[in-house]
Amino acid sequence: MRITGNRLIDLTSSATTKNQSTVGTVSGQLSSGLRVTTPSDDPAAWVAAQRTKLRQVMSQGAGAAVATSRDALQMTDSSLASIASAVSQVRTLAVQGASDTYSAADRAGLGDEVHGLFLAALASANAQGSDGEYLLAGAASLTAPFDAGGVYQGDAGVRAVPSTDTGLTAGTTIAGSNLTAANGVDVLPLLDRVAAALSSNDLPTLRAALPDLDTAIRQISLSRSQTGAAMSSLDQTTAARSALEQDMQQAISRYVEVDTVTAATHLAKASQALLVSQQVTSHIIQLLAPST
Amino acid sequence: MSDLLSLLSVGASAISAQNAGVAIAANNIANANTDGYSQQRVDFESLPAAPLIGGVRTGSPTRAQDNLLAKQIQTATGSLAMSQQFSSAVAQLETAVSGGGPTIDEQLGTLFSSLSAASASPTNSALRGSVVTAAGDLAAGIQRRAADVAATRSDADLRIRAATVSATALATQLAAANLAIAKSGDPAQLDRRDQIAKQLGELVGGQARVDGDGQMRYVLDGGAVLVDGSHAARLAATPDPTTGFAALAVVNGNASRDVTAAIGSGSIGADLKLRDQTGAQAAGQLDQVAYDLATSMNAVHTANAGLDGVSGRPMFTPPTQVAGAASTLAVDPALAASSQLLALAAPSTGPGNNTGALALFALGTRTVASGGTRTLGDAAIDVVANVANASAEAKDDATRDGLVSENLAGLRDSLAGVDTQEQLTDLARFEHASSAMAKVVSTINDMLGSLILNL
Repeated sequence: MRITGNRLIDLTSSATTKNQSTVGTVSGQLSSGLRVTTPSDDPAAWVAAQRTKLRQVMSQGAGAAVATSRDALQMTDSSLASIASAVSQVRTLAVQGASDTYSAADRAGLGDEVHGLFLAALASANAQGSDGEYLLAGAASLTAPFDAGGVYQGDAGVRAVPSTDTGLTAGTTIAGSNLTAANGVDVLPLLDRVAAALSSNDLPTLRAALPDLDTAIRQISLSRSQTGAAMSSLDQTTAARSALEQDMQQAISRYVEVDTVTAATHLAKASQALLVSQQVTSHIIQLLAPST
Repeated sequence: MSDLLSLLSVGASAISAQNAGVAIAANNIANANTDGYSQQRVDFESLPAAPLIGGVRTGSPTRAQDNLLAKQIQTATGSLAMSQQFSSAVAQLETAVSGGGPTIDEQLGTLFSSLSAASASPTNSALRGSVVTAAGDLAAGIQRRAADVAATRSDADLRIRAATVSATALATQLAAANLAIAKSGDPAQLDRRDQIAKQLGELVGGQARVDGDGQMRYVLDGGAVLVDGSHAARLAATPDPTTGFAALAVVNGNASRDVTAAIGSGSIGADLKLRDQTGAQAAGQLDQVAYDLATSMNAVHTANAGLDGVSGRPMFTPPTQVAGAASTLAVDPALAASSQLLALAAPSTGPGNNTGALALFALGTRTVASGGTRTLGDAAIDVVANVANASAEAKDDATRDGLVSENLAGLRDSLAGVDTQEQLTDLARFEHASSAMAKVVSTINDMLGSLILNL
């Protein structure tokens, strides 16, 4: 085949341009750490990475929900612990007051003390979370769940929250209905009733309340167990989700990030090819120079 | 027997012939870097009755040319122009659907993530605000993408309109070149005609063929004749009332033939493909995503209640139809003004109920898009993926067509390119022959002089 001088120069110039382009591309990949910088670099890898990123972002949103719920449950448990402590103290005082050795005046003093504990328990039962929601109100979370007499005004609603991009964790809130007669006795009114019985020296009522106080303690204990189980479940969810998100991040890296060793090898090869093509171009130009 | 005066005549014709060779070689060297130039050569022919009369004469310069190769180059030129222009244009479209900020699927992820966060504290005004903000950002993002895609298609349309003017001018030049060739047959005119045909091919693709009469006919994809000998038709761009874009027609006198859908190569073919196929598909998919997003979110949102316990309110302004849904997508104005209206609770429950939030979040993994076959996220990814695939294919096509063109350029160069060393050798050969003939003439002249002196 006849090859003219101009053609020789064109061929070597074209080869040099291609090699320069390759060096530029591989250098860019190495400096950015990304193999896929635009979707068309590798559409299939980009699609896989975007799908994974979408799942990852949704999973992170679930993580935020779980963290919020975990914090609220912690505060709920703290409130229930306060109520449990108050009920336990009330039971102790009630047992003391039920003794025949106590006078009416002594019982009145105990009654004042129990009333104070009732108010403290009521305040704990109406505790609000960091977002202002009443922790034990169920779905009616913008209204104080217990009135001044300790009667429950909320509902039995509990929430589920997303635990991953597709999964849900149920029972992430505790409703104050656990502390009502539907689940044993009305805990807070019971305290108020004990305080009144002590203040009015009403021994039959006081003694009748003692078994109810035991029931109340069990109710609160059960609620705290539910709270603990929910927190444990959320903790497990968090651990699983963290592992999942780590896997997702690794998958994204595999899809779009550059393999440094491979890229460095490509760069070395491309640089060598560029050097050779530049030398060949120079040689061809020198070769043709005397006759042109 | 030849006389000395006849021999002088032989010498003169020989010097003239060798000088013609020198002129051709010099012209070849002068045009060594002229784009589209085909090397010329001159054939020598010995005159009869040598050595008694004899001598040499030259014919007209001939141009190295292979019509089949020229046709292949012309076709390859249209293909290369098409793939290069489409690669460039579709890269712009790719930027429109995926560049300059988060992609639609990423914004969808942010919306669903914010819904998830809000589900744990549905009365929290900051979290509710985040959801509304994410929805607003998503709507604005889809609107922007739709506008960018429309702008990319409009740019292609403008290029098509400009290119039709150039194509008509080139067709006129081609017809004029045909006329000039019919009169003179000048090789330089043939080169010029090939160059015009090549430029026309870069714009409109099609085929140029040289018929037996030496005239070039230029036929577009689909068969419409743009140039027939010395007559050129006009490539006209007129606004299509349906699309607002230019429709193309070959206008020949009173006859007009629509070629909008027929042109499939050249830069016009590339821009038509971008405008009417790839770009149109992207715009349609964006509209579908916007429509599916608004309708599916609204269906859930209207079934749930805001903080005020009222249900039946949409999340996005309800679209009336798929077409144009992307460019009009917006968060419902009342919701945008107050995140209290965000329906995260089931009706007739309390504000702390998060059933609505969970239902909205679940839309992230439900197949509610593309006729119930895709999730919203996948549908949004599909918009970019289709353009990205087209872009990747265009890059491959451009590389392949570049290689084909390079190979054909090598073949053409092998046949018709000017090799300066070769021409310098020819030059030396002609020069030596010319000098030798000058010596012959000088010798004969001396002989004649001696003869005259001795008479």
